[in-house]
Amino acid sequence: MSSSSEAAPSQEFLIEETRRYHHFITLALWLAVVTGAEIVLIFLPIPMAAVLTVLSLMSAGKFFAVILWFMHLIYDKRLLLWIFVAALALTFATFSALLALFSVDLLDPKWIS
Amino acid sequence: MSHDSHHAPVACKTELAPERSDLGLIRPDRTTGWTDWLTTVDHKKIGILYGAFAMFYFLVGGVEALAIRTQLIRPENDFVTARMYNQLFTMHGTTMIFLGVMPLSAAFFNFLVPLQIGARDVAFPRLNAFSLWTFVFGAFVLNASWFFEFAHLAGWLNSFDWHKALVYTDFAPANGWFSYAPLSGTFGQNGQALRFTGVGTDFWIIGIQVLGIASLAASFNFICTIINMRAKGMTMMRLPVFTWMTLITAILIILAFPAITVALIELMFDRAFGANFFNPSAGGQPVLWQHLFWIFGHPEVYILVLPAMGIVSEILPTFSGKALFGYPIIVFSGAVIGFLGFAVWSHHMFTTGLGPVPTAAFALLTMAIAVPTGVKIFNWLGTIWGGRVRFTPPMVLALGFIWMFMCGGFSGVMHSAAPADSQQQDSYFVIAHFHYVLLGGVLLGLMAGLYFWFPKIFGRMPNAPVAYIASGMVILGFNLAFGPMHYLGLAGMPRRTHTYQAGNGWENWNFIATIGAYILGAGVFIAFVNLFWTAFKGKKCASDPWGGRTLEWSLPSPVPEYNFAQAPIVATRDAYFEDRHGGKRIAYENDGGEAGVHMPSQSWMPLVASAGFLFAGFGMPMMAMGVPHAGWIVITGLGVLILGIWLWAVEGPGGYMLKTPAAAGSPAPVETAAH
Amino acid sequence: MSETADAHDAPTSTGIDHKKLIMWLFLASDCMFFGTLISTHLLYRKLYPSGFTDAEGHQRFIQNLFNIELTSFSTFILLMSSFLMALAVSAMHKGEIKSFRRNVLGVIFFGLIFLGCQVFEFTHFYHQGLTIQNSVLGSTFYVLTGTHGTHVAIGVLWLILMYFYSFTGKLRGHMGALDVEVAGLYWHFVDIVWIIIFTAVYLVEYLGPNGIWGTGLPAAIK
Repeated sequence: MSSSSEAAPSQEFLIEETRRYHHFITLALWLAVVTGAEIVLIFLPIPMAAVLTVLSLMSAGKFFAVILWFMHLIYDKRLLLWIFVAALALTFATFSALLALFSVDLLDPKWIS
Repeated sequence: MSHDSHHAPVACKTELAPERSDLGLIRPDRTTGWTDWLTTVDHKKIGILYGAFAMFYFLVGGVEALAIRTQLIRPENDFVTARMYNQLFTMHGTTMIFLGVMPLSAAFFNFLVPLQIGARDVAFPRLNAFSLWTFVFGAFVLNASWFFEFAHLAGWLNSFDWHKALVYTDFAPANGWFSYAPLSGTFGQNGQALRFTGVGTDFWIIGIQVLGIASLAASFNFICTIINMRAKGMTMMRLPVFTWMTLITAILIILAFPAITVALIELMFDRAFGANFFNPSAGGQPVLWQHLFWIFGHPEVYILVLPAMGIVSEILPTFSGKALFGYPIIVFSGAVIGFLGFAVWSHHMFTTGLGPVPTAAFALLTMAIAVPTGVKIFNWLGTIWGGRVRFTPPMVLALGFIWMFMCGGFSGVMHSAAPADSQQQDSYFVIAHFHYVLLGGVLLGLMAGLYFWFPKIFGRMPNAPVAYIASGMVILGFNLAFGPMHYLGLAGMPRRTHTYQAGNGWENWNFIATIGAYILGAGVFIAFVNLFWTAFKGKKCASDPWGGRTLEWSLPSPVPEYNFAQAPIVATRDAYFEDRHGGKRIAYENDGGEAGVHMPSQSWMPLVASAGFLFAGFGMPMMAMGVPHAGWIVITGLGVLILGIWLWAVEGPGGYMLKTPAAAGSPAPVETAAH
Repeated sequence: MSETADAHDAPTSTGIDHKKLIMWLFLASDCMFFGTLISTHLLYRKLYPSGFTDAEGHQRFIQNLFNIELTSFSTFILLMSSFLMALAVSAMHKGEIKSFRRNVLGVIFFGLIFLGCQVFEFTHFYHQGLTIQNSVLGSTFYVLTGTHGTHVAIGVLWLILMYFYSFTGKLRGHMGALDVEVAGLYWHFVDIVWIIIFTAVYLVEYLGPNGIWGTGLPAAIK
């Protein structure tokens, strides 16, 4: 281990870390609020399609907020974001297709004969 | 993490002073012989070990194939029992795919990728060793099923109480290489689940699971290496095509294997704990197994073939004396094949009744894959076109690859038409198709690669006349064996049939196919003996006997431990060729020399951690057999695994400095081509 | 990043540390892993919306089984553990090892609470009659959430080992911060998987009068 690694971090670095620290706190509060809103939302008497849309958006929002800030993707090299988003897109596409393939309708006798 | 204990640079690692790791154990850095091979983290040695194990299992899988063909040589033959026949074709497929082709490709990845990108090692040398030994132990576990099977047939197990209690006594897997549920799963309700098959399936499940871990670990490592460890000037679009195909293959592995990992976990839960994932009597959908298997299985096909395509893309330009025609298009086509490979899995399942819209969609996507594949073939032809072609053994095999792979591709396009496929499903036509792709394609490509890079790996030249004879026998035997199967399949012969009756017009073609298989087997055997002999006794050759194009040929043969005495700085694609014949020289960084090159320390820990899989892998099927206390073997295995990883993490990476012969500022002298 | 003069830590082609890159590759792979598990659960919910039959032969609905208060609590706990993990990584970057230890202890504690909630939930469901053997629902639910729980447990074990390792003095500098950051990436990933599971497995069962899948009675296929 070279000696320079023991040196104190630079001033700009500390300012940046402190700025991130405040982002993390804000985000944690938002995550708590959105989760709370999700739980309230499912009991509200509004149409299911609307609730489902909002729930999906909230969940995706939380998901991306965590990967962007807590997992530093917004600060890191773009390549990492591309790797993860590509895998995520592939996963989503593959398993959406799989779910669509498993339809009760397809087991209708008219296709089996 | 501390490097305080660095030795002074030494010329040879046997001169190192004994050094203790952070654990207080002496690092096996100075060792030679067996210990050296067991603890090595050198990507070249790991590559050689991968290759040796893969070639051994190629022969094992080949013997299984010949037994299958011998059984089918005439109608109503009784060379093997029906049960043994099922076990043979299951283990033949599994062995060839997971223990033959994938590790042989991995051998090339290991040996070549760091050399081609101008690196001194892979990103995680110890993880690389872990991948190797995990593969080796996974292969042991899978093949251990044979030992149990033969012990059972010989009657050695009869005296055990647990053996008397077994309902099914098939010890080797017999479900086909894709182990379709519900045959591989369970039936019956509410915890009363019964299995359809014996512990062979459990051996298969755990064996594939362990092999999957090995492939995943290796792939993470290789993506990281290729993205992160390129020499200066080695931009992505200057990477050799083989390295590109390695990258795409590794990406396919990390995205495709999780599906089979989960499917295997679910099947294991069905069999071991009475879960209902694929249990039809409790509402489980066996067809889900097919989906999950082929979500993995179809990308797996490209995992098998892309490395061979990469090898051929290196060989053709070398022996045509031309740069690869349309490099960016070849790379792009490879990526498109990889991507589309995830979108076509259901074409293996047309006959399961997907419904008209999915069937049409998957048929169209499957046809679309023929486009990038065809683009590649035309690019290879464009490479040969107008070139000064030298018909060396690797070139002959590479040309065979193009032709045979194209035939396999044609029958593949026939399958993509769903109505035609419903006639061809489960017939010998399918066998013919995928053997043209996997044997005519992949095996010829890999053999071409072996003959091409053996002089680099061992510094010795294979005997050319023997190589020509072997190549000729392989190509001739292969066509004799699998060509007639197109006809047999369309004439109605089903695959996985233990025997058949006379009078269907199948006798002659089956006879010819079996004779072809013998010729093919003999050809492969001769080629492997030729290569084995070369490794030890072959005639020594220059470092660049073929007039190579990429960086590995700029190094002495065999390649020194540190690869590059000085790190290269490349200015163009085909850097070594351009260095000699073009205007763009390879520059070298002013490192190495007396100051030495940093080498990673060797370690026992990857081997120890992998050994955990050996215990756990043996223990789980033995639990399923009802062997008393087998659960403790599993727990021991998991303990060894966790302990190995922990010791690995805290022993510290270590490392030592190796002097290189290079004087600062001037590139190492390289012998020129002998011809 | 430039403090390491050592060849082993030589600058990489992309400027991304090997360990961070390989962890992201692993997480990319793990997306497919959890994608397979979650879709297995969802497609069986789609085929068999009617829940399960308990040992006494009563038809049981998943809505009556789930305890949304408990699950919301453990979701909140896991989100907050992710927050503490981010602070722990931040502390390591600033070289504040004491702050790192404090935060990582918090993460371990929250992780253990989450696991405790899961053990309680599993026991509760088991006594309510849902077993891995008596229905497809039991198989998919327990294996999906159990696999996630195993990931959490591995993360907890990792962080505990890292906590004790920090007392050896070897967890320091850029490489030390990197090791913590990589562990943190894993932990956050486990958290985002739970964000998806919480919505896709738990919350949607409460939509409308009978959940998004309906009661499914009469069952479409038997």
